[in-house]
Formats: sequence, structure tokens, C-alpha cells
Amino acid sequence: MACIRRGLLGGVIAIALPAVQVAAEDLGKQIFLEGSGDMPACAVCHMLSDAGSEGEIGPNLDKLMPDEARVRIAVHDGVGVMPAFGEALTEAQIDAVARYVASVAGQ
Amino acid sequence: MDKMTIPRRHFLVGAAGTVCTGAVVGSGAGSALAQDTALPDYVAWKEPGAFIQHSENTLETLRGEIGSVVTPNDLLFVRNNLPSLTEDDVGDPEAWTVSVEGVSDPREITLAELKGLDVAQVASVLQCSGNGRGFFEHETSGSQWLTGAAGNVIWTGVPVASLVEALGGVADGVQWMTGTGGESIPDGIDPLSVMVERSVPIAAHEQALLAWNLNGEPLPLAHGGPLRLVVPGYYGVNNVKHVKRLAFTEAETQAKIQQSGYRIRDVGVEGAPDQPSMFEMNVKSWVTQPLMDASSGRVLVMGVALGGTEELATVEVSTDSGATWSEARFTGPDLGPYAWRSFVIATDLEPGTYRIASRATTVGGASQPEDFPPNHRGYGHNGWSAHAVDVTVS
Ligand code: HEC
Repeated sequence: MACIRRGLLGGVIAIALPAVQVAAEDLGKQIFLEGSGDMPACAVCHMLSDAGSEGEIGPNLDKLMPDEARVRIAVHDGVGVMPAFGEALTEAQIDAVARYVASVAGQ
Repeated sequence: MDKMTIPRRHFLVGAAGTVCTGAVVGSGAGSALAQDTALPDYVAWKEPGAFIQHSENTLETLRGEIGSVVTPNDLLFVRNNLPSLTEDDVGDPEAWTVSVEGVSDPREITLAELKGLDVAQVASVLQCSGNGRGFFEHETSGSQWLTGAAGNVIWTGVPVASLVEALGGVADGVQWMTGTGGESIPDGIDPLSVMVERSVPIAAHEQALLAWNLNGEPLPLAHGGPLRLVVPGYYGVNNVKHVKRLAFTEAETQAKIQQSGYRIRDVGVEGAPDQPSMFEMNVKSWVTQPLMDASSGRVLVMGVALGGTEELATVEVSTDSGATWSEARFTGPDLGPYAWRSFVIATDLEPGTYRIASRATTVGGASQPEDFPPNHRGYGHNGWSAHAVDVTVS
């Protein structure tokens, strides 16, 4: 079940300036392509055409077309054999990469 | 085909101000890919329309499709941690080798040799650790399986005990049997971070097989062919697909899938090696018919029940949400402690709505709880209440 909690945070995002959103998108794509610290890049394991990545270890994200919540919890908690990155990434980084993947997957 | 109860969570979180995007309410499919999406190529031979596709590597059998004693290959669920090997990857299946380590005479042995060594059949339930995850009310990562990440199948293979004997027995101090999958991990990734390598307590080797045949057919690649480690009574993840290495070891593997993955812990807690691992399955049952509607009068309530690693003693059915229970009758053969049994009870129902539940109990007295406590990753749900179905009789 993919659910997005509505709340304060949602309100904040809604009034964020466009410039800030662009920056967040850049951050999301950067984490996807480069990882962060010890964390390998999502691109190593996942295919996502917007990022030009061809990883084949994890599901093809263009086909999966996950929503933001599904990406966020997968990255935070891990899924099956995909490790949890809740320690390696900050909440803001996880949000950014989740928003990025959800917005471009399948395009 | 769309006969599912809606997990209570759909209502609860909805009421709590949550937007469920893309959830097909009523199908229970949640974040699954649309059900009419064609099956991926590697499982194109499966029955179209019998599955909920959670992702390319996770296909759930619809609740109404699994009622028979043995689950046919084309209805069996699919859950692959890593993409399945292809025919090109495997080459000649008979030449597939598995490296056996931690025995007196360690060596590589081919599938052809294994077939000449010994053979046995075992009927066992194959079930994903996360079967029932969609019934938990907290938010969980991974496929939101309801009942259909399970099947009852017959494996043919060489008993691991015979193999061990042929290779001179296990070394002293061995505590674990460790199986390693043959998927290749690309350069640049720490293999331990994503490889499928699982250790099970050494005692489980007594019932384990290296299997090459599923329900009388060569083991399909999508289910771990050409050779799979089968540990009857244990959750799916321990049944390592495309097995390349079978090691008898003093310690558990350091792979993440063992150390922090597939561990039962409270919600919000990270996975760690001191938490219980998803080894033996628990007692469980669920109704497979009727699932939504029935005509008044005589209604046969049917379902399946498993004891995990123990024989079943009874299955009871309630048509009043658990207020009263009656004992059901097993139908079909008893295929042993690791298999499931189908059951039936004839009821006489007047028009109205009924919450129909089933509750299995093993010979050892283990019984399904009404509710199963939440755990972080949503494993092992066998609570009878969440598995109940709401049926309208008219
Ligand atoms: C080391 C390889 C690896 C890395 C790095 C990785 N993943 Fe994954 N990912 C996987 C594998 C393997 C799976 C499938 C796991 C399974 O089903 O057992 C997966 C599954 C997923 C899923 C599907 C979850 C579901 O609900 O089915 C999403 C979404 C995802 N990854 C996103 C990401 C993002 C975003 C990143 C980067 C922050 C990332 N992954 C980094 C290997 C990786």
C-alpha cells in the first residue's frame, strides 16, 4: 500500500519556492547517481532512464513506477535483499531522492 | 478474480487523513502494478489473470486461485530478490555445479552427478516471509502481499543428508548450513550488501534437498532452476535459488540478507543479528472460498492450512467473526508435516453478511492467534482475524 501522509510537512512543501524545489530535485538526482558517503549510488543497481542508469540488480524503476512513499520507505528501511539506507542518508536526502524517482520514473 | 477483503488498514489510515495514491481499493493490490499488465517475459508461461503484480520480481497468486492440494507451477507465486538467471546464464543445466564445503571431502559436484547420487520427494509449503504483510496496519516496505505469496509444491532432489554422507560427513563445530545463490553481483558493489546467501541451523539439513524438479517438471529458472536449496518448513528466503555453493559453517553468513534482513523486531527498530531470523514457518490457515458472495442455503467454506514444521491437528471455521467455531474436515491427502492441507466445512447460511475466519492448530498445540503483533518489516502474519473474509449471502 502506498500512502502519503498529509500533514504539516505537506503544507510546507506546497508553499516552497520553485527555486528550492529545483534544488531538491538536483539533490535527488545527485544521490541517485552518486550515492553519499559509504552508500553506493542507486544507479549502480537500478535502471532509470532520466538518470541514464542501467543497473540490473534491483527492479527497473521505469517499469515499477513507484510513488514517493514507496521509494522513501524502500530506501529508509530496505526491501528484501536491498539494504536499508536510513542510516547512510539524512531524511532530507531520502525525501529528495524519493521525490526525484517518483517524478521521473517511467518517463 | 478480484475477490479480496480490504485490509482494515485501508479504512484506518484513510480515516486518519492519508491519501492513498493509486491504490485499487477493494483489490488489496495497493501499490501493485495494474493487474492487467502482461506478465514479464521470464514468467510469460504462467497463467495470465491469476496474479497481482507487485513488481517485475514479485507476483502474488490471487486468493481464490490457490485452493487445491498442490499448487500448479503456472499458479505458483514468484518472489525473486534478484533478477532470475536466464538460459544463457545457466547454459547446460546438467553441467551446473555446486561447490560443497565444510565436509570431509569438499568438492564441486554437477547436477548430473547429484541426480545419480540419491533422490527423494518432499511436499512442502513455499511461503514468502512477508506473506500477509498487507494485513499489518503500520506502513511497511516491500510487496504488500495478502495471502498469495504461498503455494504447496512437490520437490524432487537429492537429500542433503545423502550428499553429506557421500562427502564424508560435516566438519566438527559446524552450526549452520549456508546456501549461496548463483546471481552475479556487478563490480563496484560490496557483494555482501546484496547477495542472496542464507544460513539455517544445521539441524535443518536433515530435511533439506537440493532440488531440480518442481511438481514433476524441471525446476523453472523463475523458481530457482536448475538447482535450488529446499528447506522444508522454512520461509521462502532460506530456499536459495540457483544454488552455487552449499557450505557447512561455524558461523552465520555475513551477508546483509542474513545479518540485518529478514529479522523480526519491533516497529521502528533496525535489523540486527540478535533478533529472531525468518526460519521456521508458523501455523496458519485461510479461507479460499467463498471470498465475497454466496447464495443462501448450503455454503461450502473451503481453505488451506499449514502447520509450519508440525502436523496439523484441527482447523476450525467461524462464520461470526470468531464468536463461535466449528471443526472443519480435511479434504485430500496428508502430504506430511511440511505440506498444507485443504479443508472444508458445510454451513447453512441465511441472507446477510458474515465474517468468515479459520483457525488452525498443530498436534503440538500451536494455534493461530487472533491478532499477530506488528513487527517492523511485516513478517510472519498468521492472525486469524486479519485473514478473515467478509461474505455477503443473498
Ligand atoms: C546495492 C544495490 C542497490 C542499491 C545501491 C539500491 N538498490 Fe534499490 N533495490 C535493490 C534490490 C536488489 C531491490 C529488490 C530487493 C528485493 O526485492 O529483495 C531493490 C528494490 C528497490 C525498490 C522497490 C521497492 C518495492 O516496493 O518493491 C525501490 C523503489 C528502490 N529499490 C529504490 C532505490 C533507490 C531510490 C536507491 C538509492 C537511494 C536504491 N534503491 C539503491 C538494490 C539496490
